[in-house]
Amino acid sequence: MKSIHKLIIAISISAGALITSCQKLDIPPTNIFTPDIIFGSEAGVKSFLATIYRGLPIEDFKYRPDQGFKTGGNDWENFFNSASVTGEEVGPFGGMDIGTGFGYWPYGDIRNVNILIDELPKHADKLGQTNVNALLGEAHFLRAYYYFGLAKRYGGVPIVTTVQDPGAPISELQVHRDKEEATWDFIGAELDLGYQMMNETNEAGRANKYAAAALKSRAMLYAGSIAKYGSANFVDGPARAEGFAGIPAAKANDYFTKAVEAAKLLEGHYSLYEKNADKVQNYVDLFLKSESPENIFIKQYSIISNTAHSWDATMSPRYMTANALTRSYPTLELVQRWGALQVTNSDGTPKRFNDRAEIMQGLEPRLLATVYFPGATLRGLTFDMQRGIYPSFSGTAAAEVAKQSNSRSYILSGDTKTLYQGKMVIGFTGPWTGGDELTRTGFYVRKYIDAAKPISTVDLNRSEQPWLDLRYAEILLNRAEAAMELGNAGDALTLINMIRSRAGATPYTSIDIEKVRNERGMELAFENHYYWDLKRWRIADVVLNNARFKGLMPYYVFNENKYIFLAEPELFQRNYNFDKKFYYEPIPGGELGKNPNLYPNNPNY
Amino acid sequence: MKNLISRMLLGITILASSACTKIDNYDGPNASFEGNLVSSEGGNLLTSQGSTQIRLEQISWSATPSPQEIPSKFDGTFKDSKLFKGTYKVIPKGGAFWPLYDTVTVDINKGTKRDFTVTPYIIIKNFTATLNGKTLTLKYLMEAPIGAGLPTIIETQPYVNNTKLVGAGASIRDFSDLYKKSINKQWADMTDADKSVTIDIPDMLPGRKFFVRVGVRLNDSFKSSNFSDIIEIDVPAN
Repeated sequence: MKSIHKLIIAISISAGALITSCQKLDIPPTNIFTPDIIFGSEAGVKSFLATIYRGLPIEDFKYRPDQGFKTGGNDWENFFNSASVTGEEVGPFGGMDIGTGFGYWPYGDIRNVNILIDELPKHADKLGQTNVNALLGEAHFLRAYYYFGLAKRYGGVPIVTTVQDPGAPISELQVHRDKEEATWDFIGAELDLGYQMMNETNEAGRANKYAAAALKSRAMLYAGSIAKYGSANFVDGPARAEGFAGIPAAKANDYFTKAVEAAKLLEGHYSLYEKNADKVQNYVDLFLKSESPENIFIKQYSIISNTAHSWDATMSPRYMTANALTRSYPTLELVQRWGALQVTNSDGTPKRFNDRAEIMQGLEPRLLATVYFPGATLRGLTFDMQRGIYPSFSGTAAAEVAKQSNSRSYILSGDTKTLYQGKMVIGFTGPWTGGDELTRTGFYVRKYIDAAKPISTVDLNRSEQPWLDLRYAEILLNRAEAAMELGNAGDALTLINMIRSRAGATPYTSIDIEKVRNERGMELAFENHYYWDLKRWRIADVVLNNARFKGLMPYYVFNENKYIFLAEPELFQRNYNFDKKFYYEPIPGGELGKNPNLYPNNPNY
Repeated sequence: MKNLISRMLLGITILASSACTKIDNYDGPNASFEGNLVSSEGGNLLTSQGSTQIRLEQISWSATPSPQEIPSKFDGTFKDSKLFKGTYKVIPKGGAFWPLYDTVTVDINKGTKRDFTVTPYIIIKNFTATLNGKTLTLKYLMEAPIGAGLPTIIETQPYVNNTKLVGAGASIRDFSDLYKKSINKQWADMTDADKSVTIDIPDMLPGRKFFVRVGVRLNDSFKSSNFSDIIEIDVPAN
């Protein structure tokens, strides 16, 4: 019996071995994703695209110009923005701390796009040719977006359009810089492909064909102004001589023309947000309402996915939020882009106001929707900005401000609890210098602030309003500026007046380049455009030449029971100086070490 | 016990002796490089902080070396005593002088010296500082060794500080930057009156010692300034 058992066991083992041994061992690995799995289905492609979109150099709420693009769950310090080195705001940066950038070098992300462009056509049978074409168009848009992030920082960079083989000889991997002109032309051509191949619509947060045209209008405008102004104000060096930093002036009009043409492609497909008859609320809503016909390309955030930002909590004082720290504040210079505020009488004495809020009377709705003035309200609370108390005040504003602080007769305080004859010396919302978290200029940012949120929910990493990366107003401004550069003042005037009409401003009857630029500064304030505008116009070294900025300090005059406003140096007392070499950022040192073909570095580095 | 101690000592001896077998065969940074920035108009080129540098590129180390810079001192001298021995490409840059385009190749060893001659954009002549009560009056004259092609002259200003280190970025703002005179002209368009400058600085603090110089800033790549020499001023106590 026993031997029979043994026999049965032996037979079954050998039979089992014989049968299973015929299985092929050479099968695709089951524990890694192969291109077939990723690119063989729309869901797979989408997950791959998500990585590429996530890395996109969108200068949003969380972007820190000295550190880079932030995609983490706790990147809450949203006041480290480029506005606070350019004089739109003053803030945590001690000076021009962002001139040399943060060494942006996204060739890993570009490789992902290149893989996408390489793989998609191979999977047309599963995805469908129409889908593949649309996705390819999207990939070209994304590649252009990455190169735009590079070109505006470094000028000419290596254009890599193939998926490099890591095993290739090092001489092939050590790519050369392309000329700046070639880089911008490449961006333009990629966006043309994007426009031709993409669909009219796409999911929110993804690009459609008009996003490609919109980005092209921006990129070509940049290239045009670099050609025009960069050939007049430049730093000499080998990189310039070899065309890596700089574009011949003769190319400027070509680029401006392309910018106008690209912007025209959006006509009739997008419009300015004008749904609310109240001009102030309309301009506030435009940044908060998802159904806006102005939004071309947006970036979304959510608490659930751990990507929420902190704009509401880091732009308004603790007084109006659940837990917050503000550190960057709009300057008087920005506010006076809209014209001088009427705070002094014709004899030079400060105008007396019964209530702080009177300062807002007669101001343009867009300005009131961009900046919180003293006397404005948020979540049921009043911005009670007050720098101090004058027991009595005589003389002119200019004479008072020129005095040394110890010979001024005002009463200041470092604490809201301090009273002067029963009256608070400073406001709950500042300004004071005891800490960073109350205004240093007399203003707070209003753009993108969601006033409808209850105070208890306004916390760090709890803001979900999308970033409007490309909105139609910018495209109109791009077109107006390019048209103006081409001498087409009529077109520029019409476009600028469209913007002004929506803003509630009086229309212009004539136009010049300064008006176009100022309109851009007003409309796009705090949207991370101005730093690049200063750079491409090549005026940063003049505007930020040891520049100091001002605030508007409200005081209470005790014996008159009135308020006055004095224009004084902002209370951080920052000093901003833009070196000419900052017009181009240095190629990152680590990359130069790996690849000597990236030399010459940009001038003066 | 004795046995144990001697064994431990033996162990330590073996470890200690084997630890020294490898020798770093590179020399330490024991070479030095020093010299003067000589002005073509006589004397040294007077500089200030953050302006003129001597840029070095060690070509005996790499074909594309990372540049390193020796900042010039206020008197136009420079010195770095912690350099690696080797062959360097050297060029002065960043100051208010006509740019040099040709680098000089220097073998830097212990005590290497080299002077560089540069032509300043502007020289400041007849600089006087006189005190009248509490008001300090500065007078000087600008001259250009080479007028044609000179970068735009942006501004001129005094620099007042309470130490000998006085210049751009090292001055008391209330006595210096506030008395900046904007010019924004080409050299050819400047009148004799533009070139001859008088600046009054009122309300100098009594009983203090100040160091004063003046500068002229040009719109070259570095927006650098030419400086005068430094004058010491004692403001008498009331």
